[in-house]
Amino acid sequence: MLFSSISFLYFFLPCVLIVYFAAPQRVKNLVLLIFSLVFYGWGEPVYVLLMLLSIVVAYFSGLWIEKSGTKRAKKWAMGLGVSIALSFLLYFKYTDFFIENFNRATGLSIPLLRLALPIGISFYTFQIVSYIIDAYRGTVAAQRDPIALAAYVTMFPQLIAGPIVRYSDINAQLTQRRHTLKGFSDGVGRFVLGLGKKVLIANSLGALCQTFRASSDLSVLYYWMYAVAFALQIYFDFSGYSDMAIGLGKMFGFNFLENFNYPFISASITEFWRRWHMSLSSWFRDYVYIPLGGNRVSKSRWVLNILTVWMLTGFWHGAEWNFILWGLFFAAVLLMEKLFLLKHLEKHKVLSHLYVLPIILVSFVLFNATSLSEAWNDISSMFGRGNLPFISAEAIYYLRSYLILFLIAIAGATPLPKLAIAAMQKTKAGDLTVSIAAPVVLVLLLLLATAYLVDGSFNPFLYFRF
Amino acid sequence: MKHRTKYILQSALFLLCIFSFSALCIFFPDKAQSEAERRPLKQFPALTVSSITSGRFMSDFEAYALDQFPMRDAFRKAKALTSTKLLAQTDNNGLYEQDGVLCKMEYPMDEDSIAHASQRFRAIYDSYLRDKNVNVYMSVIPDKNAFLAESSGHLSMDYEALYSEMAQQNDFAEFIDIAPTLSIEDYYATDTHWRQEAIVDTAEVLAASMGAEISGKYTTNTLDAPFYGVYAGQYALPTEPDRLCYLTNDTIESYRVYDHENSRAIPVYDPAKADGSDPYEVFLSGPLSLITIENPAADTAKELIVFRDSFGSSIAPLLAEGYRKVTLVDIRYLPSAVLGEYIDFEGQDVLFLYSTLVLNNSSTMK
Repeated sequence: MLFSSISFLYFFLPCVLIVYFAAPQRVKNLVLLIFSLVFYGWGEPVYVLLMLLSIVVAYFSGLWIEKSGTKRAKKWAMGLGVSIALSFLLYFKYTDFFIENFNRATGLSIPLLRLALPIGISFYTFQIVSYIIDAYRGTVAAQRDPIALAAYVTMFPQLIAGPIVRYSDINAQLTQRRHTLKGFSDGVGRFVLGLGKKVLIANSLGALCQTFRASSDLSVLYYWMYAVAFALQIYFDFSGYSDMAIGLGKMFGFNFLENFNYPFISASITEFWRRWHMSLSSWFRDYVYIPLGGNRVSKSRWVLNILTVWMLTGFWHGAEWNFILWGLFFAAVLLMEKLFLLKHLEKHKVLSHLYVLPIILVSFVLFNATSLSEAWNDISSMFGRGNLPFISAEAIYYLRSYLILFLIAIAGATPLPKLAIAAMQKTKAGDLTVSIAAPVVLVLLLLLATAYLVDGSFNPFLYFRF
Repeated sequence: MKHRTKYILQSALFLLCIFSFSALCIFFPDKAQSEAERRPLKQFPALTVSSITSGRFMSDFEAYALDQFPMRDAFRKAKALTSTKLLAQTDNNGLYEQDGVLCKMEYPMDEDSIAHASQRFRAIYDSYLRDKNVNVYMSVIPDKNAFLAESSGHLSMDYEALYSEMAQQNDFAEFIDIAPTLSIEDYYATDTHWRQEAIVDTAEVLAASMGAEISGKYTTNTLDAPFYGVYAGQYALPTEPDRLCYLTNDTIESYRVYDHENSRAIPVYDPAKADGSDPYEVFLSGPLSLITIENPAADTAKELIVFRDSFGSSIAPLLAEGYRKVTLVDIRYLPSAVLGEYIDFEGQDVLFLYSTLVLNNSSTMK
């Protein structure tokens, strides 16, 4: 089920709110679990069983680790649990990729499995892996209550598109959480804001990207417009989803960590990855990069560590070569920055932004390509390959049509709106105005998002495919 | 205290909003049809084990919830206002308004669709018309975007290229260029179609090119009911209605029209249809697969077969003045493979008369 759907907003959410807040404290996790299974089953009726199996693996792995007396036994328990959880991910997400490439390399024709990718498997598998490893490291105690663990893994606000909430971050809240008026109200604000970002901005820009893809009147300008539109679409889509997840979490008494922090204002790619999909980059840092030795190894090993982590980051996004290349592209840029570029970038603030933005745009064009040849075609066309005209009638038309949306999206991708509101709130009158206007604006935003949904606009969730 | 008020207000407004619309969704009776969009609305999907396990129930439920959402038209209007006025987008779902005229950006030209239409026409020619002593003609009706796009800055197809493509791919037919006889004023402001009262000169050009004669003298009858065309509902913003007129004279009033699809006689014009969901059905009772118009007053034995879309309904009564019998065929509803069972092709004039809207979206042609 999509957050940005009528089924969720006006059928599922009212039901879950009534039952959850009517239920006594001791069964709230059970209520969340049941509704989360319905939420997941709505889109993946069959794969609910796979998710439940993964939870069973996590549950018993945790208990086994805790019960094991020796480090070796704990390691075995952890290794087995992590391997089983990852094997589901590998099987459902990557088998066809490996078969396809094996066939290509050997000339064989082993049939593909053509399995449908279980929604959210990359997210909940990483949550399970983090739980098992944390239990092994002793940073969290194994969860003895299977309902609480299942409620954590399946929790619908973050189940299918993140953020990757670690068990250690909400362990305490699973057993004891406070439901406050402020928390609920803040959650409502965050949820509606995310819904607006997703439906009003991301979907509209997505429609432009789709129009571009179908166009036969291409030009250099149109390719750049597409690059900007897609970068903004994916940002508003994914950060909008994270806002909705964080907002829903707050409504139910949970505090999820932030996942985005205005990534497009970064002055380096290193900084960009501290601001973009923070839950994923920190997951790879803590569970892959540091265990590999991080930067406390020889330079060559360190380079290898970086390449491994970023190749895996790309591969996590999808079983396609363009995602692997996308990860390695960032690895190369990050290595250059860490080795020599960063100290220069720090001295030239304006230049550093001018350096970051084209890299991000090119990276997302690579990310969104359906094949390596399409990626090459798109990126080289941005730089005028094959006597492509600089402008075309269609590019001009859509630039005119989407200009205000682009401006809103660009401003919205910076902290400017937040700073403007904060500046207003510094005066008593301004603070009062914001306090009164905010709830009204939020409801208008909810109604407007509903209007866009009812009108049947473009509504994919990009991060569902991961 | 002030913040507490804000928290209460914010939470209360949100809950009020989702719970009231939720209640309206559940308790409001479902509608069968959207009058504004002129389409049937999705109904509650069948709830079966297989529909649930396949996920079909869930996707159908979302489509149903979107279609049956309370105050759907008001929400669509809010979306249209936001996108066109607030965000200054130059079209809303491909529709735009220029000087009170609603128009759809028919863009880009779909070469495959043009080729598919031409293949269907050629198949008809090869199956029924070759060596049958018939005179075959073709004409293309430009859509409104052909006249408005340039001045309003919207995208449009290369219409000259489309005409030339059609003429080239259908070289068995003599191409009659009617574009010079048409202007934006010849079309309804809120609908796709042309106005019958404004296309007399077009009918004269067509008739003359086929060696037929029509009087060109008619009485204009205006219907009282306001005519909100198909674009009015789709555009979702308030628009001024058109007035629907139809032309009569003694010859037209003597026509005998027969609907072979439903085996019944029908009137040339049915003013009662003006109150229906598509008032344009006033002309020859709307989309029907096979109609014949007999003109007992004709002083010729010539017959005409028109392969047509809905534009043909309003021009056919004018063309019929020059023929003893006119047969109207819509191959979107009657597969061309079975035409031989209904029509004896021999010695007639045959006209392929299609709008660019259908040629550019021809997948329904059979």
